[in-house]
Amino acid sequence: MKNYLVKDLMVPISEYAAVPEGATLFEAVLALEKAQEQFNQTRYSHRAVLILDKQKKVVGKLSQMDFLGALEPRDANLEQIRNFKQFGFSRKAVALQQEEYLKSSPPILDFYSKAARKKVTEYMQRPTEGEYVDENASLDMALHQLTAGSNLSLLVTRGAEIVGVLRLSDGFAAVYHSMKESELQKTLGET
Amino acid sequence: MKELHKLLDRIVQRVNINLRELEFDVNPLVNKLIPAGQMTKFYAFYGITPHHALNLVFKHSNLSGSYFLGKVRVTNSLLYKSDIRGDELKKNGDLFQYQDFNIPVDQDEEISIDDSFLIKTLVHNYSHDPETLETFFIRDTVSAHYANIHGSPTDGSFLGPFATVDLTTIRDCVIGAYSYVQAGEVSHLRIDPGTVWVRKPGDFNFMYRYPIGQLSNYVYFAAGSPPQGAFMDFLEDRKEAFERVFNVVNIETPESVPASASLDRFAVIKPKTKIGENVLVAQRAFLQNSVLGKGANAQENCYIINAKLEGNNVTAHGAKIIEADLGKNVFVGFNSFLRGRPGARVTIGQDSVIMPHTIIDVRKPLTIPPGHLVWGLVQNPNDLQTNSMSLKDFSKIDSRMCKGAMLFEGSGSSFVSGFQERIHHILEANGAFYDGKLKRGHAQRNQNISFNTIQPYPEGDKAGLYPTIIIQP
Repeated sequence: MKNYLVKDLMVPISEYAAVPEGATLFEAVLALEKAQEQFNQTRYSHRAVLILDKQKKVVGKLSQMDFLGALEPRDANLEQIRNFKQFGFSRKAVALQQEEYLKSSPPILDFYSKAARKKVTEYMQRPTEGEYVDENASLDMALHQLTAGSNLSLLVTRGAEIVGVLRLSDGFAAVYHSMKESELQKTLGET
Repeated sequence: MKELHKLLDRIVQRVNINLRELEFDVNPLVNKLIPAGQMTKFYAFYGITPHHALNLVFKHSNLSGSYFLGKVRVTNSLLYKSDIRGDELKKNGDLFQYQDFNIPVDQDEEISIDDSFLIKTLVHNYSHDPETLETFFIRDTVSAHYANIHGSPTDGSFLGPFATVDLTTIRDCVIGAYSYVQAGEVSHLRIDPGTVWVRKPGDFNFMYRYPIGQLSNYVYFAAGSPPQGAFMDFLEDRKEAFERVFNVVNIETPESVPASASLDRFAVIKPKTKIGENVLVAQRAFLQNSVLGKGANAQENCYIINAKLEGNNVTAHGAKIIEADLGKNVFVGFNSFLRGRPGARVTIGQDSVIMPHTIIDVRKPLTIPPGHLVWGLVQNPNDLQTNSMSLKDFSKIDSRMCKGAMLFEGSGSSFVSGFQERIHHILEANGAFYDGKLKRGHAQRNQNISFNTIQPYPEGDKAGLYPTIIIQP
């Protein structure tokens, strides 16, 4: 496999969707859309928004999962239903009960409208120690960090500065292409 | 009273150590919940009959106002107005059936209570844990007012007021107020108030949760004060009647109690109450202007007021039936609260099952058809529609079903037949089917019980503690 470095595969921070700490969820989605339009369409699409403090330092990351999680209706009764799994119920049964409960809840569009005005900081994930990788680290090392931590992306550093984002999809593409190339060469060699 | 305080501290610490994973602190909940003066005020008592084992051992404990029957050992514990009924324990030579095993019982089973604080709690039945056949243990546990520990070995747990654990071994659990758990074996679980959970792993799973907010009208428990709400108000209003029963040595019994029925002398029987044959009325039951037909029973802490029970009715521990008419074979589960009102009676058709911890509280007449299963909170016909089903239809469930706040998964038929078999067993054990010669049960065996009283040190450091007492034949 070609010996990639993280910096060969990362998305530079300047091309990544980012919003300030005070932004709302709706503003985060708009930033994601804008970044997507500007980004090279031949590559994999954007899947997260970075949250920056006043010094432009990355303080968090809002993934698609975080965003959808923020749209999930929440109240104490629903939280109880979501805990039913610990009482031995299947996922199907929990979903059934949730659906039944939501029948008597306000329309979902009202809920989306309220959620859109919520602050990103309520739902973002703060990066943990294992989510940083040096730009000169090998892809092997980065892949280990991605898989061991079940991370969808890593923040790429140059000294104390964050210079980019290495996404799971970029790592996957690099590995896949290398594997394909190597297997094809073997096949050609055999013939 | 120094020793009593030390004992409470010791119990609280032991329970908290067990519940540390759940980050649950019992101290604010139980500290000063029962004033120390109350703990020294009441005598404890025990029953003697030729039909029950007599083997009681009390060590370094307070037993204020508590009742004991059978084989019971209490060590380093505080028992306040609790009933420890050892009249269904396993006997040497019995075979305990568990799944495909028939396990022989090597010695008479014992209720063993260690390092626990039980407040107005009922302990009854026998250990259903195949790993502890001969010991029904309760240790490092605190239970609040009107909790039921029924056939449930309990270790390192807290039970809120009106909570019930039934046929379930629990370890390191918090059972919220008015929750009912029958699930075989559970550990390290925190169960929210108002949860009704009946599970047989691999067979069925039933769950109902009271809507948050509505339950607190009936029972509310927070640190700093005793339980509050309609249940406690109802009980407080009738408290005085029990004071007389416990203060008077020779209490008169109503004239018309059939020879096959048993009426405990520590029950309150108000005028115009009629007791049929094979009826069992346990201690701390309260009957007023009611009819109990043949084979009906009223267990501990039951209240039956202005009601008619046609016969073979099970009114399980702590159930209340007010202004109601119940057909034959109606089962009313633990701590259920059925409150009709004058001109707004609750009528329940025969063979219906009112699930444990059900609240039916109506201001207009309400009729439950025969053969129905009812659960949860019912305050009007719409609630009844949501929270009930015919037993026949319920038996047809074979995957999963959701109705209102009730979720069921598994075999409805197993669930229904399990209930029906258990109801039959309860009636049998209570002597409802006694024919004058055979099928004796509690109603026949619990007659003519002699009661002896025991008392604690009256003053000094040990005030409130009972000396070591061993009572054997």
